[in-house]
Amino acid sequence: MAQGTGRGESLSIWFFVGIMTLSYGIVLFPYGAWEWFSGHEPATVLHQLHPTFWWGLLLLLFGAFYTIRYRPRSGDKDIA
Amino acid sequence: MQSLAAMLFLQNRQLTHLSPVDIIILLLYFAVVVFIGFYVKGSTNTSEEFFLAGREMTAWIAGLSFVSANLGSLELMGWAGSAYQYGILATHWYWIGAIPAMLFLGIVMMPFYYISKTHSVPGYLQLRFGEGARGLAAISFGFMTILMSGVNMYAMALVMKVILGWDINFSIWVGAATVALYVMLGGLRSAIINEVLQFVLIWAGAALIPILGLIEAGGWTNLKAQIVHNAGSTGYVHLWSTLGHFKDNPMGINWVGIVFGLGAIISFGYWTTDFLVVQRVLSAHNLRAAKMAPVLGAAFKMAVPLIVIVPGLLALGVLRDPHTGQLIHLVGENQVNAAHPYSYNEVLPLMLIRYCGPGLLGLGITALVAGFMSGMAGNVSAFSTVWTYDIYGAYMNKRAPDKHYVLMGRWSTVIGMLISIGTAYLVMNAASIMDYVQALFSFFIAPLFGTVILGMLWKRATNWGGFLGLLAGTVSSVSMWVYTNFGTAEHKAAALAKIALSRDAQPMANDMFRALWSWLICVAVTIAVSYMTTPRPESELNGLVYGATVIPHDGATSIWQKPAFWACVVAAVFVALNIIFW
Repeated sequence: MAQGTGRGESLSIWFFVGIMTLSYGIVLFPYGAWEWFSGHEPATVLHQLHPTFWWGLLLLLFGAFYTIRYRPRSGDKDIA
Repeated sequence: MQSLAAMLFLQNRQLTHLSPVDIIILLLYFAVVVFIGFYVKGSTNTSEEFFLAGREMTAWIAGLSFVSANLGSLELMGWAGSAYQYGILATHWYWIGAIPAMLFLGIVMMPFYYISKTHSVPGYLQLRFGEGARGLAAISFGFMTILMSGVNMYAMALVMKVILGWDINFSIWVGAATVALYVMLGGLRSAIINEVLQFVLIWAGAALIPILGLIEAGGWTNLKAQIVHNAGSTGYVHLWSTLGHFKDNPMGINWVGIVFGLGAIISFGYWTTDFLVVQRVLSAHNLRAAKMAPVLGAAFKMAVPLIVIVPGLLALGVLRDPHTGQLIHLVGENQVNAAHPYSYNEVLPLMLIRYCGPGLLGLGITALVAGFMSGMAGNVSAFSTVWTYDIYGAYMNKRAPDKHYVLMGRWSTVIGMLISIGTAYLVMNAASIMDYVQALFSFFIAPLFGTVILGMLWKRATNWGGFLGLLAGTVSSVSMWVYTNFGTAEHKAAALAKIALSRDAQPMANDMFRALWSWLICVAVTIAVSYMTTPRPESELNGLVYGATVIPHDGATSIWQKPAFWACVVAAVFVALNIIFW
């Protein structure tokens, strides 16, 4: 059943959480990799730890898990 | 006037700017929230669907929404600033000032709210005390809520101006139009979904600050040592050990004010009777979920100091000018000048810029925008419910078809948002109004808690007792505020000393003790008047009062499903945290 979005809907609230964080991971992870490997790190404190890369990867994994776990499946609408 | 001058000074500069990757992140957020509004519109055709999200939310969704409705950006930035100003004492507003009340709501009060099938807190007062108490609570709540939404809107515009140099009109209108659109389309359901998203976004955008900050400081123990060295006092790093006397801590308060004023009255008043947060729990799909939601909310609430209080403490320890290596000294907003260009309230953006480059900065800004927008959405959705059910439906048009009330809910969302925009412009032209609106909100909370708790726990409380107690508590709260805020400096100091029972008390103590007195007055008047008037027959109190109600079983079949068990777990962690940071 699609949690939170209504009895007649197929997209769960957790799917939205997943898709949003996955999108951010998709933007941040490659951007962080480009910063790291091309030497374009910003002049922030502790930039040598490559926070954009690692945080982007974390969001990517978190978002992918939630998106897949709560993806709409055929029949969801009827069950709901 | 000084405050206004400081704000004007702030408006003439900007801390940073967004890169294209930041703008992509921000636009993604706007696209998702507007899509959600359109997506759930089809599930908001009846009044129960529009105003109470169909009462079909799980405990996790209702719980996250419950805690998120209170996690606005104004709150985040304000309490990060307070952590810089007062040290770890600010954590009390997240722990003793929230957790016991949330657990009490879940275990003791929620069954009455839920089984009475009320749609709002004023609605419960109508069932328990009649129209007088409902009318007073509904009008004051509706009025204050819409003003708070305007304050939130202006605060967002000002923050975007200070951090990014955005035009204030642009921020106000884009923010208001987006919120009005998705709440008008999806009602409470839309607001709740966005609150859950916002909760995740706030953690995604802000959690890096304490992580990187603690790495920079060399761990918690080293951070504490640096704060003690920089501040020259241990008062900033202890939660309880400095609360013996007003003079021993930076907040100028004692344990009586924190435990009884904050922990017992303000906190219980806010978390158990403010409809903005209670509405989220009323959307739960069964009694067990309704009891579990505040317990889960409390567990999440305990973790929030990590992203709010720790950044403020980090600024005390490690915030140095990158060029000179000197510690940056933040000041109050009315003391901002060329030598001290940053105020306490800017501590969160300053720490964000310190650790987050392009991309992560956009994520942090998006979290702030999401916080502001969900704050506005929370206020507007609560306003439209109370307006439609407890003012329009109760006094103007009692017998309209259900569809008419849904339409009224959608229109009141738009009109409420327009009034909020008017308030935002009013605040822009007279900044002191912001302080007044925030103070006004506090007038109703403590007495309302007195009325609701007596109504739920004491069968003898009568309609007249409830109404006059609420009125007396509110009037006394306003009177004390006027008494301590107007007149000469000597008069104010003397008034504060009387209200807080000490000449060493600071303004923060004033709020705590004012709440305590107004609650006591409300309770005393309610009890006295109730004994002088005729009580309602017990048969009429079924489902409303403890002792006159058979509370149905919540359906838990094992200890793991019992809300009371999880409330004990949360309470144990709460006690442990207070001992660890004593």
